[in-house]
Amino acid sequence: MIRRLILDVLKPHKPGVVEVAEALSHLEGVEGVNVIIYEIDQQVENAKVVIVGSSIDFESIKKKLEEMGATIHSVDEVAAGKIIVEEVRTPQDRSARM
Amino acid sequence: MKFLEKIRRYIRISEVAPISRRYFIMNAFDGATTVLGIVIGAYAAEITNESWVIWSGLGVSLAMGLSGFVGAYMTEEAEREKKLNALEKSMLTELTDSVVGKASRFASLWAGIVDGVSPALAALVCLTPFFLSSHGLFAINSAIQLSVAMALSIMFLLGVFLGKISNRNMLFHGAKMLFVGLIITFIFFMLKITQ
Repeated sequence: MIRRLILDVLKPHKPGVVEVAEALSHLEGVEGVNVIIYEIDQQVENAKVVIVGSSIDFESIKKKLEEMGATIHSVDEVAAGKIIVEEVRTPQDRSARM
Repeated sequence: MKFLEKIRRYIRISEVAPISRRYFIMNAFDGATTVLGIVIGAYAAEITNESWVIWSGLGVSLAMGLSGFVGAYMTEEAEREKKLNALEKSMLTELTDSVVGKASRFASLWAGIVDGVSPALAALVCLTPFFLSSHGLFAINSAIQLSVAMALSIMFLLGVFLGKISNRNMLFHGAKMLFVGLIITFIFFMLKITQ
């Protein structure tokens, strides 16, 4: 039962973010969508897509994105289960950064 | 998704609206001008049989409609295919079955339909007085006058439409288009006089 999904998506300029976000939000099990464009090229743009829901079906998300002409570059975060577990910082993370 | 909603979506994604507007105005103007030429030619040749004008007009409408459709469809298809290929290269994926590919194919068809229908429709509207005349509603001379007036009106309305698109003076744009129509009419009449 996926509750939160963070994707790195490559998409053409058209359909725009409004249309993509709207299409994803209409999918079953999805309660909220956030699409942020963080890079724009001549032909394509990169978007960070955050999807929150009660029971997100990854395959239907992938299919919808492909239908809109977009491709998933990477799945950056998945939160599944009864509650959403946030990322936890550990001492190792701190030392790794140093 | 409803059919009309789908079409609206394809038009939005393919951005075919400005192109089809251009095609519509250019070709409707062509259609009206061609029939204007046929009608004034018929007047100059002192033709008393409306079926000559009707059949010439219908032949021209069909030819313009078909050539418009095929020409615009093939040109647009080639251009859009090129654009889609470039996009596929950037995306490193095939887009044929995506909404982008579908919108691209729809845009070619839409441009073809607009390019084919607009001249044929304008020509048919200008021919209406002759259809009515053939049913004995009025004399052929009245049909000629009415048809010329209709062709000029179509030109004026196309100008008004252009004015509306550009958010400028609609009457001025209408008058500009009408002026072109009047020049064509004037040249024809001068040819007839100097004959």
